[in-house]
Amino acid sequence: MKRNLNSKTDDGAIDAILASEEELIPSSGFLAATMERVREEAATPQPIPFPWLRASPGIVLVAGVLGWCGIELARVGFTKAPEISIAQVHVTANWSALAPAGWVAVALGVSLISWLLSRKLAGGSGLL
Amino acid sequence: MSAEEDLADVKRVLAGEAQAFEGIVRRWQGPLVNMAWRYCRDRGRAEEMAQEAFLRAWRGLAGWRRESSFSTWLFALAANVFRSELQRIPVVNVPLEDVAEPAGPARQHDDLVETQAQASVRRAVLALPHLYREPVVLYYFHEMDVAAAARSMGLPEGTVKARLARGRELLRKRFPHLGEMHSALPSSALEPKKEVTQ
Repeated sequence: MKRNLNSKTDDGAIDAILASEEELIPSSGFLAATMERVREEAATPQPIPFPWLRASPGIVLVAGVLGWCGIELARVGFTKAPEISIAQVHVTANWSALAPAGWVAVALGVSLISWLLSRKLAGGSGLL
Repeated sequence: MSAEEDLADVKRVLAGEAQAFEGIVRRWQGPLVNMAWRYCRDRGRAEEMAQEAFLRAWRGLAGWRRESSFSTWLFALAANVFRSELQRIPVVNVPLEDVAEPAGPARQHDDLVETQAQASVRRAVLALPHLYREPVVLYYFHEMDVAAAARSMGLPEGTVKARLARGRELLRKRFPHLGEMHSALPSSALEPKKEVTQ
């Protein structure tokens, strides 16, 4: 690159100084050290990705059960809400209103089992 | 430095031949160490940063889409690595105002003074605000090629030009008598000792 080295401007001086850097030669061990790190990296097994395909039935099941639970709870809440007065809630236990709670417990149990199953299939690794 | 050699080595690495990466390191170690050196002015750290850049290149080799040349991709990746390394552990530096101005023309015959003057200007680049430092570093690293500096930074050329102009303006203000001193120096004093290979 040909530059006007006799330029009197400061810009020219700055250009000349900063463009005339001496080349730094990498140390003799640089190549070997870098390749050593690359080889280490290459030898390290890749992290096993979460097996989404295997876990997908479990995830779908859990999502379905939770969705169903939500719908059921909302439905029960809507139908029973007019029957429950504040006085009734703290004085008498309305057992008939609590009957769907058993189903909710069953649903939660199924969810838990399917979650545990999917974790076991995934080999204990994964989201949690 | 051949683009075909780079492409061939990349293909071999991607095919599982890790040893082929050595060719890439061999060809690019000089430019990357020099680039890192301009970012930090510390030889040991420059080599560490260049090594880190090579490792990132190794990991991300499949991400080179071949739309740009291998060197463009490598320099952009390296600039990213160097920038984040220096954000993590900044270079210990003096403020721009504290960088001594080179001695006046009366002493310019002295080689030592001349070397000191150049060192002062180079040190002052590192004292520039972060926004203007990198365009200045990369512009001169790429042999005063704004387009190449812009590609390395992943910024539009106009932005790099504007930042470069501001960076140089700050340097000019810091060294107002550099032009006079520079004109008194023998031209051989400022010739590049060796071009940075790219």
